[in-house]
Amino acid sequence: MKFRSITVLALVLLSPVSAGDNSGIVVREARVYSEADAGSAAVARLAAGTRVEIFSRAGGWKEIYSEQPATTGWVRSYQVREGIYQPDAESTAGSDSRGFLSGLASLSRKASSFFSSDRSRTSSGTATIGVRGLSEEQIRTAKPDFAELEKMDGFASGNKRARGFAQQGGLVAGKVPYISGAK
Amino acid sequence: MKRVFVKLLIRCGILGLIVTVPAQAIDLGDLVDLGNKLVKINSEVSVEEEIGIGGNLVSGLLGAAPLVDDDRLQRYVNDVGYWVASRSARPDLPWTFGVIDSQGINAFAAPGGYVVITLGLYNLLENEAQLAGVLAHEISHVVRKHHLEALNKVLKREFWTGLAVAASDESDNRRTLETLVNSGVQLYAKGLDRDYEFEADLRGVVLAARAGYDPYALLDVLTTIDSINPDSAELTVLINTHPPTEERLSRLAEGMDGRLDYYASGQSNPKRFLEVAGTP
Repeated sequence: MKFRSITVLALVLLSPVSAGDNSGIVVREARVYSEADAGSAAVARLAAGTRVEIFSRAGGWKEIYSEQPATTGWVRSYQVREGIYQPDAESTAGSDSRGFLSGLASLSRKASSFFSSDRSRTSSGTATIGVRGLSEEQIRTAKPDFAELEKMDGFASGNKRARGFAQQGGLVAGKVPYISGAK
Repeated sequence: MKRVFVKLLIRCGILGLIVTVPAQAIDLGDLVDLGNKLVKINSEVSVEEEIGIGGNLVSGLLGAAPLVDDDRLQRYVNDVGYWVASRSARPDLPWTFGVIDSQGINAFAAPGGYVVITLGLYNLLENEAQLAGVLAHEISHVVRKHHLEALNKVLKREFWTGLAVAASDESDNRRTLETLVNSGVQLYAKGLDRDYEFEADLRGVVLAARAGYDPYALLDVLTTIDSINPDSAELTVLINTHPPTEERLSRLAEGMDGRLDYYASGQSNPKRFLEVAGTP
């Protein structure tokens, strides 16, 4: 365990300035454990907003290093968010809150939805500039679009197609019982 | 009281089966589903009616926000969704999925196997497992017929079953149906019971694991949503119609704790996801 910590520390010291690909931020107060197991020793507590480096992930756990306060160990995955992100600094969704690649994907998709906005405006009559669609008011006053439903039906997959898709993606079906307590 | 008795009956049935069937073959959740179905069969709408109702409700949502004009994206989401749904207790529904052109962050399901996800939510996702997790949550609502139960609570049955009719060209019928859809669609502004949402989270992660995906991906999506300013306009409907994200996260993490670790090595297919997501 000690050896591990030293390795982790060395990695951190050798890495070029902070803010690497593996940086993350504690989004809610997190207890740091020595193993990826809530039964292991709790070694520290990190406040929300603490910057960390993420080294690995196992199940619902992330292995992290924090400089301030100095500690290494495992925290629950949902308590640490990947990427440098300040919850208070941003009021809209999507912008730089995610990894580089997915940010790109999101940007290009946003661009495409921007360019197609003229089309949707003429076809549905519901689109306006700014935040489009599905405010509570828009849901309440929606006029059904049966032609759009027909279009949606046309995209449906099927057994054979889905099996091929799964195989291509290395997806192996397994038997997993429902979690007890799930009604 | 009647409910307790019914539950008891189902449990006895399950115990009976445990004695005779090898343990591995039993899926308790599915058996309970089946039990519920058998007990309620007389009072329930037929599958055909369910599909009709769902189609019309989705038409309402599509009227508020049309499909994103990207065939490749739509087919991809249908492939992921269909595969996940084929692992559910209702694989034979005509499962149909769509990405709708709204920057709001949300996803909706309708009876009969319809699921839509907004572009706003899709853009927050990082890989296929996260998409599968979101769809699995919605699929669970359909499998458990949560929307039918909710409709039953707010509208008279003879009223909402009228939603099952197909749209016709006759203008009078069409107007009646439009009015009906309009009342039904209010459900999506109002939201489901909180317990249904927690249940869909817990069942969703299991469904994702069954389909070979990393079940923890749904937790990641919720973490992302949780880190967005809750006052953003994009989140208004989701926040108003779901339990607090923080509570969903802690209940889900607690429920999964240790039980699904074995499946965390499931696929997340970020490459395939980004290929589709990044090329409009």
